[in-house]
Amino acid sequence: MHASIGDRIVIHGHRIGEPDRDCEVLEVRGPDGGPPYLVRWGDSGHESLFFPGPDASVQHFEPTLG
Amino acid sequence: MQVIEGIRRSGVGVRPEQTIREAATIMEQSGVGALAVVDGEHLVGLITDRDLVRRGMARNVPYDARIDSLMSTPVVTIDAQADLHDAFALFRTHGNRRLAVVQEGRFVGMITVDDLLINLAADLADLSRPVMAEAIFGHHDSALPATE
Repeated sequence: MHASIGDRIVIHGHRIGEPDRDCEVLEVRGPDGGPPYLVRWGDSGHESLFFPGPDASVQHFEPTLG
Repeated sequence: MQVIEGIRRSGVGVRPEQTIREAATIMEQSGVGALAVVDGEHLVGLITDRDLVRRGMARNVPYDARIDSLMSTPVVTIDAQADLHDAFALFRTHGNRRLAVVQEGRFVGMITVDDLLINLAADLADLSRPVMAEAIFGHHDSALPATE
């Protein structure tokens, strides 16, 4: 997995009806955009390290030109 | 199959100085039941939702106490490139439900008994499919070699 600061990581639900979770990448700690990532979770603003597994995908955000 | 291929869920880590309240919130928001406690690049402990209840709430530990006051240590680890069957032996020996997976000494994720059981069930289903097909549809002989 490769991510950049500002990307959103989505963790897909494992069971039927389990919601997806998401967090924002604040820092990339691995080489070449690799994990681990320092992330911020939802509204609480709490930060943790994130080690992506097969249940996670990255949503890249391209900067928009004014 | 290597251990790293058997991991089904992402891993989440906290710093030792983060609070019990933060750890509980992160568990809730990330949907995991166990967090790695990581100091710099070093894995120093594991904290589970069960630890929060039994070692924290049941003993009136304040919610703003450091998470390393409740964590389990030392951590039983397995190398990411180890064979998945090595994990069975470790689970048998240590009697816990989670192993920290490390690569070059760094934490990369967690493998659980549930992960192993799901992989095992999938393997058994793959093995049983042709046997069940034979039981239902009968034996299928391969074609004889062509003769002139």
